[in-house]
Amino acid sequence: MQTRIFFITGSLLLLAGVTGCKKVIERVPDSVLTTAQYFKNAKDIDLAVIGVYSSYQSRKQTDYMLLELPTDNLYRSNYTLAAGADDMDNLSITPSNPLLSTFWSASYAGIARANAVLSNIDNPGDYKTGQKEQFTGEAKFMRALFYFDLVRLFGGVPAVTSQLSIDEAKNLPRASEEEIYTLIINDLKEAAGLLPDKASIAKGRASNGAAAALLAKVYVYRKDWPNAKTYLDQVNGMGYGLLPSFANIWKLDNEDNNEMVFVMKYVEGTNGQTLSSAYLPFGGIAGIATSGNESAFPSWDLLKLYDENDSRKAATIESYYQAPTPANAPLAWLPHVSKYQVKHVINSSGLDLPVIRYADLVLLMAEVQYGLQHPDLAVAEINKIRERAFGSSDHNYTVADISTDADFTDKLLLERRLELAYENERWFDLVRTNRLLTDLSVEERSYNIATETAQTVALAPKANYSLLPVPQTQIDIYPTDVLTQNPGY
Amino acid sequence: MNTTKLLRFSKVMYWLFLFCGLLGTSFWRPLQAQTTTISGTVRDKEGQPLSNASVAVKNGGPATTTDQNGQFSLTLSTQNPVLVISFTGYLPTEIPVRGSNNLELILQRDDKSLDQVVVIGYGTVKKSSVTAAISKIENKQLDQLPAGRAETALAGRMAGVNVSSTRARPGEAPVIRVRGASSLDAGNDPLVVIDGFPGSSLDNVNMNDVESIEVLKDASAAAIYGSRGSGGVIIVTTKKGKTGKPQLSFNSYAGVSIPRVHHDWISSDEYYNYVVKYLNREYVWAGGDPSIPVWGDPRRPANYQVNPVIKERNVNWQNEVLHTAPIQNYNLAVAGGTDNAKYYVSGTYRNEQGTLINTWYKSYSVRANVDFKISPVVNAGFMINPNYNRRRTSSFSIEALAKYPPFVAVRNPDGTYPKARDYWGAVVTGGINPLGLLYANQNYSNVFNNIGEIYVGLNLMKGLKFRSSVGANITYSNIDNYQAAYGNIARQPTGSAADYKNILLLNENVLSYDRNFGNHHITAIVGQSTQTAESRYVNMGIVAGSYSNNVIQTLNNAVISPTLTSTTKSNWGLLSYFGRINYDYKEKYLLAASLRRDGSSRFAPDNKWGLFPAASAAWNLSKEDFLIDNKNISHLKLRVSYGKTGNFNIPDFGYLGSISNVYYSPNNTLTTGQAQTNFGNQQLGWEENNSYDLGIELGLLNNRINFVFDYYNKKTSGLLYQEAIPATTGFSSSLRNTGVVSNKGIELELNTKNMVGRFGWQTSFNLTVNRNKVVSLGGASERINTDAYGMGWILRVGEPMFSYYGYKKIGVLQDADDVANSAILAGSLPGNTKYLDVNKDGSINASDRVILGNFQPKMLLGMVNDFTWKSFDLSIIMQSSIGAKLYNFENQYYQGALAGAMRRSLVETQWWSTTDPGDGQTPGAALSKLTWQANNDFYIEDASFLAVRNINLGYNLPNRLTDRVKIKNLRVYTSMTNVLILTKKGFHGYNPEGYSYGEINGLNSKPGYNSGSEPIGRTFVLGVNVNF
Repeated sequence: MQTRIFFITGSLLLLAGVTGCKKVIERVPDSVLTTAQYFKNAKDIDLAVIGVYSSYQSRKQTDYMLLELPTDNLYRSNYTLAAGADDMDNLSITPSNPLLSTFWSASYAGIARANAVLSNIDNPGDYKTGQKEQFTGEAKFMRALFYFDLVRLFGGVPAVTSQLSIDEAKNLPRASEEEIYTLIINDLKEAAGLLPDKASIAKGRASNGAAAALLAKVYVYRKDWPNAKTYLDQVNGMGYGLLPSFANIWKLDNEDNNEMVFVMKYVEGTNGQTLSSAYLPFGGIAGIATSGNESAFPSWDLLKLYDENDSRKAATIESYYQAPTPANAPLAWLPHVSKYQVKHVINSSGLDLPVIRYADLVLLMAEVQYGLQHPDLAVAEINKIRERAFGSSDHNYTVADISTDADFTDKLLLERRLELAYENERWFDLVRTNRLLTDLSVEERSYNIATETAQTVALAPKANYSLLPVPQTQIDIYPTDVLTQNPGY
Repeated sequence: MNTTKLLRFSKVMYWLFLFCGLLGTSFWRPLQAQTTTISGTVRDKEGQPLSNASVAVKNGGPATTTDQNGQFSLTLSTQNPVLVISFTGYLPTEIPVRGSNNLELILQRDDKSLDQVVVIGYGTVKKSSVTAAISKIENKQLDQLPAGRAETALAGRMAGVNVSSTRARPGEAPVIRVRGASSLDAGNDPLVVIDGFPGSSLDNVNMNDVESIEVLKDASAAAIYGSRGSGGVIIVTTKKGKTGKPQLSFNSYAGVSIPRVHHDWISSDEYYNYVVKYLNREYVWAGGDPSIPVWGDPRRPANYQVNPVIKERNVNWQNEVLHTAPIQNYNLAVAGGTDNAKYYVSGTYRNEQGTLINTWYKSYSVRANVDFKISPVVNAGFMINPNYNRRRTSSFSIEALAKYPPFVAVRNPDGTYPKARDYWGAVVTGGINPLGLLYANQNYSNVFNNIGEIYVGLNLMKGLKFRSSVGANITYSNIDNYQAAYGNIARQPTGSAADYKNILLLNENVLSYDRNFGNHHITAIVGQSTQTAESRYVNMGIVAGSYSNNVIQTLNNAVISPTLTSTTKSNWGLLSYFGRINYDYKEKYLLAASLRRDGSSRFAPDNKWGLFPAASAAWNLSKEDFLIDNKNISHLKLRVSYGKTGNFNIPDFGYLGSISNVYYSPNNTLTTGQAQTNFGNQQLGWEENNSYDLGIELGLLNNRINFVFDYYNKKTSGLLYQEAIPATTGFSSSLRNTGVVSNKGIELELNTKNMVGRFGWQTSFNLTVNRNKVVSLGGASERINTDAYGMGWILRVGEPMFSYYGYKKIGVLQDADDVANSAILAGSLPGNTKYLDVNKDGSINASDRVILGNFQPKMLLGMVNDFTWKSFDLSIIMQSSIGAKLYNFENQYYQGALAGAMRRSLVETQWWSTTDPGDGQTPGAALSKLTWQANNDFYIEDASFLAVRNINLGYNLPNRLTDRVKIKNLRVYTSMTNVLILTKKGFHGYNPEGYSYGEINGLNSKPGYNSGSEPIGRTFVLGVNVNF
């Protein structure tokens, strides 16, 4: 009896063990899509392209901390929460600054998403006409955009055009600046050929106009004036233009206007940006938002440059602030960036952020014309911007105003600064014109309206800041001397 | 000495009893027959019959057990046999039998803790035969300790087991660490096993139902739980029914909890003056002239002015948001049974109100443990433990409330809540009235959980048993969050909801064998276990600002947000085979070895299986001839053990490269895109923990003094963590097995019976020293995680995990000269921190950062003193922690920022101006210079403490009183927790164990970061235990 029970239980035990085995530990996830199941059809690729835009869309909102905060346009408030913002603001730039690694990682994440699209582009067999070309063009355009940001900030960076394993990544050194620019130009040329025109693609996705415009900008950075002109001319025939009113560019009900060559789109509440809240005073503004983050203030350095008749002044910086509470709070002097100040739910604004704006192209054209020895045409381009800003030609420049190269650069940089303030151009402009040391040694930050005095802060820009340091956290991951540091850090 | 006399007296009494018992039977002269039938009754000292006691003839003769009346009868052939009577909890007694009928055998209760039975995984072992480091605590008065959570009662009681309450919120689980933390990403919580069900939660334990709690500390003991034993194992054994008449017991306590608060808030006048000083300092830093009048002068910018409205009121917000909160607990239990069926049934209701208003924890639970003996071969039973816990929590830590400016009225006359900016539109916080926050935020979580198990046991043959069980641990929980419009700055109602379901199924089949072969004793188990879990999450969020009105709080009153709403499912499985053998020779030489093989679905296909061996040995010297008669040394044992355990607390499908939803809005239409968001790792395998333990157990003077010492060395390798990988892969980290962490330490437990007899006094003392060290990070020598304000947490080879890393403060920059002549951080001004220029390069930069301490205590001490006198008993639990450092970032909120409430000890010594430079060590603490205060050791404080955790004074009513009302016994008691907490001078937190940024949970952990851990409650209750 007892032995029989023993055998029965023994065999039960064995049975339980053997039958359960595979099912128990070899499991399939219910809610996790895996790489093995993905990139099978056209819809997968479409969604993956959306993913590429998504990574630029989220990075874009905080780019100002690297590109505006260290400049003379903006200074940090007491409320800035981001680690490293303080050091950027004070031009104490070190490889350990976490903002650098965040930017670096976010850019390469976007590149990897673009690479994933490109390496799987041949998988689906169900593309509709033109889809495959469009997706390829979009991925190449976005990849070029990411690399353009990287190369301008860090110089030559690792050139990744396929999906890497960890070991491959650890042994991939930095490419030269030339190689990266070649990669960018090739991608953009291809994208410009593949992408549809702006009427045939959703707003916020790249069109052939965006590709041509970016390519032109890249050539300007390369000082390749003829090529830049070719592509600027190309864009000029694509239906873009300056809006009559500068203020109207920044209106929620006037998004997707002709001045926007390429924008990042946001939707309030569900897919909004934080920039509108970042510049908003802490107490909020009635009709805008109930509270702001007050992360940074406009520098007096910039504010003082705006002529009283310049319509861009009020549309870029609001000088006075009225707190919503207590009732009848006095109007106080509190300049704050108002360019992105639209009605929004805090930290989720629906206002689109421009990546390439037509006004930028006009000023790039001025550079190109000047480079091609046509100062008269260059002045004409700058004057297009000034006429729009002032509503008249009273403030136009003449060729005499730009009689020397330095004069031209002064006028150009001033106009770019006034026009493109807080659009992340200032740092790049200072670097590419070698004005970092001269223009950033002193920054006038706050201004006392009653005593008419500005608070000046002495900064110590260094020549090697023209390239930012490669993030130390990245260098540490690599074997020694694979990912090298930029000079001077 | 008096005590030794008493001891001798009790010894004499013992022999006297035994002698009398023998005397009573010796009149019976046995017949010289071939076979004899002897019978008798086994009773305890009080004369109660003992059922199920084992009665056997020495040297392998026949054996039996007593019936429910304590009676037995045996037929035997031996002449003048010697009977061996044994019963759990009583001294085994050998009695030479002269008579044959109506033997009256009296067993002495075993007061020697050494012969306790210790529960180990899948079995039990006599404490004297234990070969591993296991701490045991019996529930004598644990359930009288007033606390919402059962685990709290364990604080300070066991060496090597640190129970710390980092957040004092109702229903909050304390952090339990057994022999230090070793894992980066995979969690360090011990495995909880309730009545054999691994993977339970202490959430579900009601201390009234607990019989005992064992902690398997070393890996040789924990290895039987293989892949989950890395953080130690806590085994909870609940009460079972005993043969006898049903016993009804009622346990209850009720009382109040009083928050332990700060008393150094500054007065109304001081407040105004400090706000002026604060803003003048800011003004000077911004280049202003402080002699300009502070209010009404247009030359002074609005954000440097001080509105005199702030003189009008002095509300102490700390006291407004805290209150004396009631706590109560009611438990009714019935236990009893016959030989064939035993039961324990109980129900408990507990209500703990938080000292922070609008927070509470309510728990309703029922437990039934039922065991049947169906035949001599078959037994079966079940347990079921449904419980329902409800919590209302505050999403705000204390700092967010206590710092509120004191000039704001608590309420407006119309009942609404004013906020600071209703009085003054600049400078002050834009935050909401703290009481408004606490009323407007309604965060509820409800958890229904049931652990149920049914088992069948078979006695297959002598010594061989089989047990098969099927169990389920079912959890349903839901969270409802609602915030009324007046509770947030957006002034819009908002809400979210989440549902969670988890079903954990367990099947275990274990064969066990226990037999003596002469002097050889063998116990062995072999078993198999299958555990699977399926979970489902529902998360729902709303489109910001879409609530239609303030009336209906559920989400049908709003528009559901597509990006915040989802259902997801997950699952895992664990398949295990295990075996263990324990062998001893005359209880002198003890050996144990175990092996477990675990297969987990959480690891990559090639690495699913892990093997976890363990071995231990002990030498019981006190059983050797040369010590057996030693009067002084009553117990001496040496132990040595090795074991390997694992850790599988990682995400379910972490090895897969997964695709997730990401969003973009082409044409202003929110569109779901997809992207790979997890790199995946097809080599992902087990984190392994190899640990050695050396132990000495010493009992002196008949075990009146008991001493246990352990040394351990625990090395965790193949750490599971999100290792940083080159960003060029597109990912910043990948879950990998890299790195080694070691924990070495010593543990000491000393139990003494200082006095026995009418006045009894026992002391148990424990000491723990653990040294945590990063041994390897897989190539890199360090990883630094720097916080937004500059404090770093570093993993550096050779140093404890997550040491603070930053600049070293050497003083305060006194004036412009000091700034010009010192090594400074770019942008420093007079009043900012002066740092140590470690590399002496004349400037302060990242290379001047050094290690500034660690959140882990260097030494832990615990002491429990139990006193008895007549019917009174008194128990005092003390606990001390030495050497832990906390990063009390919370301090900065009380230093004047945003015209908030200020604490004298934090403002008095600050640098305010060159003419008011403070103590020269406290920098000007300002929001605009936060980094200068926070990136160094200024906020790092020594969190050592000495606490009297509990005092329990009880009185057992005499039987002559209780008998009249048919009560078996009645005990009344008063219990007080956190009676006294002494912290070091210069410690500013509410709770020396408190930190609010969480535990170690990955590379970006910031353990020890305190920004508002709540005040500890000092609880006073009156309680009663009644047994009918």
